[in-house]
Amino acid sequence: MIRRLGSALILLVFLIGAVGLALAAGDGNARKGKYLYRKNCRTCHIDGGSAKSLSPIDKTQAKWDEAFKNIEKMPCKDKWSALSEKDIQDMYAYLWGHAFDSPSPAKCE
Amino acid sequence: MSQDRLKRYAIVIDTFKCFDCKACMVACKVENDVPKGFWRNWVRHTGGIGGRRTQYQPGQCMQCDKPSCVAACPVNATYKQCNGIVAIDPAKCIGCGNCVTACPYGARYRNPASRFADKCDFCEHRLNRGEEPACVETCPTRARIFGDLNDPTSRISELVRQKKLVQVINPKIDTNPGIFYFSGTLPLDWPVEPTLPGGVHMPEKFWKMPE
Amino acid sequence: MKLTGAAAAGAAVGGQSRILHALVSKTAGNSKARIERKFSVCDMCFNKCGLIAKVDPYGVVKKLDPNPKFLKSRGMLCARGNAGIKQLYDPDRLKYPLLRQGERGQGRWQRLTWDQALDHAAEKLQRIAEKYTRCGVLFMAGTDLQSTFVHRFANVFGSYNVISHESNCLLSLNRAFLDTFGEIPIPDMLNCKYVIMAGANRFEALVTPDSIDLMTAMQNGCKLVVLDPRFTKTAALANEWFPIRPGTDMAFFLAVAHVLVAEKLYDPRFVAEKTFGIEQLSAHVNPYTPEWAEKECEIPAGDIRRLARELAAAAPTAMVYPGRRSSDYENSTQIRRAFAIVNALLGNWDRPGGLTAARKIGIKSVPYDPPFYEKNPEKRIDADRSLMMFEEEGSFKHARDAVIEGKPYPVKGFFTYKTNPMQTGANRSKTIEMIHTLDFMLTVDIAMSDTAWMADIVLPAPSNFEREDPVSALQGSSACACMVMRDPVVPAMFESRPVFWIVTELSKRLGLGEYFNYSMADYRKKQLEELPDAMDALLKDGVYYNPGKLYGVYEGKVFKTLSKKIELYNQRYADAGIDPLPVYEPPKQVPEGKFRIVVGRNAYITQGSSTNNELLHELLPENALWIHPKPAGRLGIKPGDTVAVASKVGKGILKAHVTQETRPDTVYMDSGYGALSKGLTLVYARGACIADILEDYSDKISGNMAMHQTMVTVRKIT
Repeated sequence: MIRRLGSALILLVFLIGAVGLALAAGDGNARKGKYLYRKNCRTCHIDGGSAKSLSPIDKTQAKWDEAFKNIEKMPCKDKWSALSEKDIQDMYAYLWGHAFDSPSPAKCE
Repeated sequence: MSQDRLKRYAIVIDTFKCFDCKACMVACKVENDVPKGFWRNWVRHTGGIGGRRTQYQPGQCMQCDKPSCVAACPVNATYKQCNGIVAIDPAKCIGCGNCVTACPYGARYRNPASRFADKCDFCEHRLNRGEEPACVETCPTRARIFGDLNDPTSRISELVRQKKLVQVINPKIDTNPGIFYFSGTLPLDWPVEPTLPGGVHMPEKFWKMPE
Repeated sequence: MKLTGAAAAGAAVGGQSRILHALVSKTAGNSKARIERKFSVCDMCFNKCGLIAKVDPYGVVKKLDPNPKFLKSRGMLCARGNAGIKQLYDPDRLKYPLLRQGERGQGRWQRLTWDQALDHAAEKLQRIAEKYTRCGVLFMAGTDLQSTFVHRFANVFGSYNVISHESNCLLSLNRAFLDTFGEIPIPDMLNCKYVIMAGANRFEALVTPDSIDLMTAMQNGCKLVVLDPRFTKTAALANEWFPIRPGTDMAFFLAVAHVLVAEKLYDPRFVAEKTFGIEQLSAHVNPYTPEWAEKECEIPAGDIRRLARELAAAAPTAMVYPGRRSSDYENSTQIRRAFAIVNALLGNWDRPGGLTAARKIGIKSVPYDPPFYEKNPEKRIDADRSLMMFEEEGSFKHARDAVIEGKPYPVKGFFTYKTNPMQTGANRSKTIEMIHTLDFMLTVDIAMSDTAWMADIVLPAPSNFEREDPVSALQGSSACACMVMRDPVVPAMFESRPVFWIVTELSKRLGLGEYFNYSMADYRKKQLEELPDAMDALLKDGVYYNPGKLYGVYEGKVFKTLSKKIELYNQRYADAGIDPLPVYEPPKQVPEGKFRIVVGRNAYITQGSSTNNELLHELLPENALWIHPKPAGRLGIKPGDTVAVASKVGKGILKAHVTQETRPDTVYMDSGYGALSKGLTLVYARGACIADILEDYSDKISGNMAMHQTMVTVRKIT
């Protein structure tokens, strides 16, 4: 868990440094992230689901940074352990890249 | 048609609203199957006044009160109706073309398919359905206001009372047109004197309506 | 009983009783049968105005009337809208699927059945997917209510190389305003009292309700100032017109900002509360004085200062009109940033007569989970060629270059729907070159456009009057926020099929049928889940309104920007190495003896489809090159002479229109002419195609095409 936190933090630092481009340089494939997010998270995080409906524009980039810094605080933290680090990176890139205040805010699709 | 005896149709055009999108021309063409190469209505333009650089001026058959086309017709195929519209009876028309060149506004044409005279009739078939003429209805800025002059509550009667309106006429052949424009409209100097087909001079007695 | 025109032809050719039967309505025998009125939505441009089609007892559409209840168009229908009837009944319409025979552009076709065509297309797409990955197919769909299905198909097929006309049009504007206000605003023309319109021509390039509302506003005392190198009809009707030197709009607006800042002509409370970066902006615009700007844009400094003061005096019911097409210069995004910044200083955000936020209409998106293809490359082909491209929009120019180069990876398939890059993409020779590199090109269209002319498979689409479309939202500024929908007015003619059906059939053949296993009715039901009253209104009125708040939407809300405020200064740009405030770069000088060619519209010839429309064609049978009398005289060109206009990438031959209505250094021609396709009888080889002449530059930030940087020679030919 500490390792995951650490790598998320490193990722976070890297991503903050690479602010400005819709696809963060290299790390995190946002497209795959979208697919993973839908497969893993949206099943619950949807209208009428067991968790609050959540899409990228529901948080600012800063808030997504915070969320990914604190995965262990999430109620569904166990589900996250099933994901590889690359998967998490990808999902982060997707959610952060299309956040409320991003240059490419997600359109509902 | 007893209803019609009470109506007197006319159009007031606020040309200051026109930006020459030509919607009226295309709408008319579709509505009235106007043949290729001919138009029942038009938009003229010229340099402007009062800070405006260009004036646009839509127009169509003026449905005149003293129509020179009616006077020029040898067989009474065209006539002024009580509702203000100058109509054409294709059954009587012999296709001579006198009326076409007798019109100061160039509003008439000889339909190449039927060989009869043709022109704007305020979309009378639409009026009978309770609709306004196509050009009036389609205009983005509602530059044309159509209505019944005999109805004092109509918008057009209101405009006649409240606004300074002008007619576009050639003073030599004032046919008393039934289309009125907001004062200040341009151009004003374009209506021509009637001629006989072929550009032949048409004596006044041909086109002057008896008083 | 007469079957008119194309309807009769259709009956004779197909011989299919289905078609004949459909043409003869049940009421034909009833002499009292009158005109049937059916709602539809115009398709002649992007505005999508509601209308009422009048259908006679024989099932023939006789007239298209405005829908008085359609507030976005203020109950009107323009020339193109009326002419829609001649797109429906165009003798040149595509009738059945076609397969190219011989070389591309030869125009030799073999008729296929739908099954043959779809089987062939699916096989080709599958082969490309296997050989080059799913991203090996480039998709391009136009502004159509069914394009969403093309995008869906592209997604489930697995290609993220999807482009549209947007990167040949408005992306610079979208980028600039999104990066300033956090969303792309909608101007409230109706209630505005002072409009500076630069790089837009609203009385000819019609946008509803803006074009109509502008006239109403002016009648109510709104002042219109137009900056345009051409004396357009908008300039002709404006209170003031300045023939601004092309490419210098930024200089003008930086100078206006200078005056607003220097003379403290902005609301300090608004700026302090709602904007970010006033200090940086103030410092930045300090050197950009009106005296400096005069030298650049050729508008007198005194006028610039006066206009700035007048603008401020009318604020907040004053605006710099954002515009739409901004595909002009390599720095178009920054130019429009200057527009946005001045608007911000005017404090006109979210209030009458200013820039308003988009309103929610309430249509639910219909979610789906496309598969993820591991073998796919990581990025789009046009990625990393512009600084801040919109991921979902891409860049036509860069995509085209990438396909030609075969880098970063090969793209060998091209699927187009209702879009005509052969007429609209600058530098036609490159589009042709690109198409020649392809293994397979499929075009879905209603006529043999220049793009269809180059394809391998051409599939006939029905007109808007012949199909069922999903519900779509329209933003109508102060007129309304509404949604529209289409149901067939007449049955689909010939063998035309809507693209929704086409992608459904293709996906079945590609093993992706599960993603298209619903009907349009199913889809609409999902869309309208949260709006139970909407369908009734659509059927009864032809439109549904969701009256939401128009002004004050942002009360208590933050802006969707990094600073949570309107960004005069854009931090993200700074971090990405982009100028956070617009820095003026002068446009290239027009070389001696040459001209800059610019792009534009008039109110009746707008899309590539207008020119072959019989009714519209009659208004303007061919285009002519606008050239000022002085240089024309030097070149020995008289009105009506034939001239050759040439750039580095191509040339065109057309008549000259010698006129004072353009700057001496600027020439202009209408788009949509000079068709290569012999399937467009009226416009084949008539006039010249501007796409042949325009060199393709692109906006550095958004990747939008930049069409105003082409310098041409003009010479008379006998």
